[in-house]
Amino acid sequence: MQALLVFLIVAALSLLASSRSLLDPGRFPALAQLAASGLLFLIFGALLGPSVLGVLTPRNLESLHPLVALGLGTGGVLLGLNLEPRLLRLLPRPVYAAALAHAGTAFLFVALPLSVPLLLSMGLRPLVAVGAAALLGAAASLSSGHFAVLGYRNGRLERARGLGVALLTMMDDAVGLGVLALGLVLGVTGNAAEGLGLLGLALLLGVACGALLAFLTYSLKDLAEQTTVTLGMVALVGGAAAYLRLSSLLAGVACGATLALMGGRTAERVSRALSRVERPTYLVLVFLVGSHIHARDLSAWALLPAFVGLRFLGKVLGGTFAQRLTQGVLDLPPRFGYALISQGGLALCLVAEYVLLVPGSLSQRVLDVVAVGAVVNEMLAHGAFRQVLAAEPRPSPMRDTPPTGDAGVAA
Amino acid sequence: MKGSIFRLLLLMALLAAITQAQAVRADSGTPVLLAAGALLLCGLFAGKVAKGMGLPRLTGYLLVGVAVGPYALGFIPNAGVKGLELVKGLAVSLIALVAGTELHLGLIRRVGARVALLCAAVCGVTFAVCFGATFALKPVLPFLSPMTVPQALAVSALLSTVVVSFSPTVTIAIVQETSARGPFTEFLMALVIIGDLFVMVAFGLAAGITRATFGNGLDLPALVGGVGWELFGSVAVGCLLAVAMLLYMRGVNRELPLFLVGLSFAAAEGGARLHLSPLLVSLAAGALIANLDEREGRRIHQAINQAGLPVFALFFAAAGAGLKLDALVTVGPAALLLVALRGLAIWGACRKFAPAEDPRLKRYLWMGLISQAGVTFGLAALVSRTFPSFGPQVEVLIVAMITAHELVGPVLTRRALLGSGEIRAEEASGGA
Repeated sequence: MQALLVFLIVAALSLLASSRSLLDPGRFPALAQLAASGLLFLIFGALLGPSVLGVLTPRNLESLHPLVALGLGTGGVLLGLNLEPRLLRLLPRPVYAAALAHAGTAFLFVALPLSVPLLLSMGLRPLVAVGAAALLGAAASLSSGHFAVLGYRNGRLERARGLGVALLTMMDDAVGLGVLALGLVLGVTGNAAEGLGLLGLALLLGVACGALLAFLTYSLKDLAEQTTVTLGMVALVGGAAAYLRLSSLLAGVACGATLALMGGRTAERVSRALSRVERPTYLVLVFLVGSHIHARDLSAWALLPAFVGLRFLGKVLGGTFAQRLTQGVLDLPPRFGYALISQGGLALCLVAEYVLLVPGSLSQRVLDVVAVGAVVNEMLAHGAFRQVLAAEPRPSPMRDTPPTGDAGVAA
Repeated sequence: MKGSIFRLLLLMALLAAITQAQAVRADSGTPVLLAAGALLLCGLFAGKVAKGMGLPRLTGYLLVGVAVGPYALGFIPNAGVKGLELVKGLAVSLIALVAGTELHLGLIRRVGARVALLCAAVCGVTFAVCFGATFALKPVLPFLSPMTVPQALAVSALLSTVVVSFSPTVTIAIVQETSARGPFTEFLMALVIIGDLFVMVAFGLAAGITRATFGNGLDLPALVGGVGWELFGSVAVGCLLAVAMLLYMRGVNRELPLFLVGLSFAAAEGGARLHLSPLLVSLAAGALIANLDEREGRRIHQAINQAGLPVFALFFAAAGAGLKLDALVTVGPAALLLVALRGLAIWGACRKFAPAEDPRLKRYLWMGLISQAGVTFGLAALVSRTFPSFGPQVEVLIVAMITAHELVGPVLTRRALLGSGEIRAEEASGGA
């Protein structure tokens, strides 16, 4: 029943989100923006979840964990497919340094100060509190480049600059995944060696599934069969990881990266097959993350302004560092840091994974702060991106409409 | 085919490794998604192997499900298979939707009366034979032996109505797979669909009578109302669904396969909650669309062909994985006897009553009527839930019979279509 309910809700929201008359950016800019980014689903998830209206009960949510694992696995494979070694090798070192600068600054700005209230308010072991703060930092370090991409598509930002922003926002994913891996190593069992073993097992599972997927699809010519094998393997990698209580996201990344490493037509086919289910899977995942929010946790609400504010400062400052590091290498817009405020979907994946694998009040609070923070950051990002455009020499007349379209999956 | 076998073995090796790793881990998470992925992949390649051997793909799906499922190699835990119930409803709805698009008014006018008569004869003979045999087995069947004669008669009737049922799901899936077309195929499809309508009515009546013999009284209005709601309510909801589909296809017209999968899922789940028949809901929807707008009916057919492969592979592999092999051992002799008698009754009825103008009907039609799957499973589960004192034991007996029918039924259905000469040439060769 709960699966039917989620399906009907997501279908109804999808219709709502695609209704141009109802969500005219000129009339309801904030709503249109949240619908385009998919975060409207998060809000509805929170409203229908156990802590607000209670349409979905905690037991319902537990039985929907396979859908969360599917979303994480799919997201991981897509992320891994983007790690194309040939392109990564072509990038000059300053680009890596710049990505590290903007992600690292935001990470430090959030993780260091927030570890103190977490440590003091929850009476946790220092290592555990630092791990949770690091995860908050990792979520803060992530940015989405969808405003920049839509900016250059709409002719409001120079193409080279838009692509520069998109590139640097894609590269911060590595910081987020690295910290998630560390958080899981420390948090899942309480024993670092065992945690490391489990991380290795997740990566091994992903590599094995990736290699097998490449082999299975190699000789398939029928499109329906290729799609079936791709969907099956994505479900298998996410499902096996969830069954073994490993990270579906990291296993998925390893699977996608293995495919990308093998390259050729296989990676293209898998990418094409997944692109058809990417958006629905993402929206269901976002909805389910929303329904996991504990809206009555006052401590989480207290942490929220600090999370958003510190992240904003970290991104603006980190953006300045990144600009300096890439001078002459990458053409970034002035006030680059303001283009990094949107948080993107991967941050939600990180905290969803953390809650599944390290259940408890601490991980729940991290999810609450990051999920609500993602909505606030998305709203801030619109205004912040105007600052970027204002400082930009205009290639075409600027339109005062927020970007719309399939922007939500950009992470 | 060697390539498919090798790929299947590699997949099984991966599943074996995952099972080993799970044995080492102290705790485990939900196995539902693992079951979905594993059955989908294994099903697909097993289907290719089966086709290479000249068998229906569906047999490959079922057999590999049995092999990797909880009752054989145990690569997939029972909880994982149970979690795939949703897929079953979805597949039945999709299959029924395709079948509905084949039900043109012209066809119904052409063969409707003959099919209904033959169906009544086949169902009547099969019911009589199974009813007599079950009642005769009263002393040896543990759930029947303590009952009074009227109770035993009522329960025998209830069990026999379930045993009579056919499998539109399997029949339509095999027809789809083999691209069979022609009068024989039309006759067979119409017969299994009408047969299930007969069974639904008969089951409702038998359940009411059984309830009465166990002291709950015969509530005739409720009985008629329940059966009527299931039949006419399903058709009405199906018509609404058809209107929704037509509006979507004419207004939005994007991602039709995805839309149909979503709508079929909603129809299956919603229909089950409203005590409607998901099969009839989708069948009515498909038939209405095909008769209102033939072009849209063809588009639905094509769209489901695109989206159907993963759903069907998963559905039948999950059905295989859910077959309780141990039940076959426990109630094996009685189940096998009923399987044999049912087969003989269907064969005899077809030989005797099938229209003489097409000799293929007398020779091959019975083979297409042996399969049992989704509808029978559903009715068996309903018996178990409605009559908790003896229902679970009846369910075990029926599931044991389904196990046998699922394994031989698809092969026989394919042979029937092959014998009729209505399978396309390249499919008949069993290649690819």
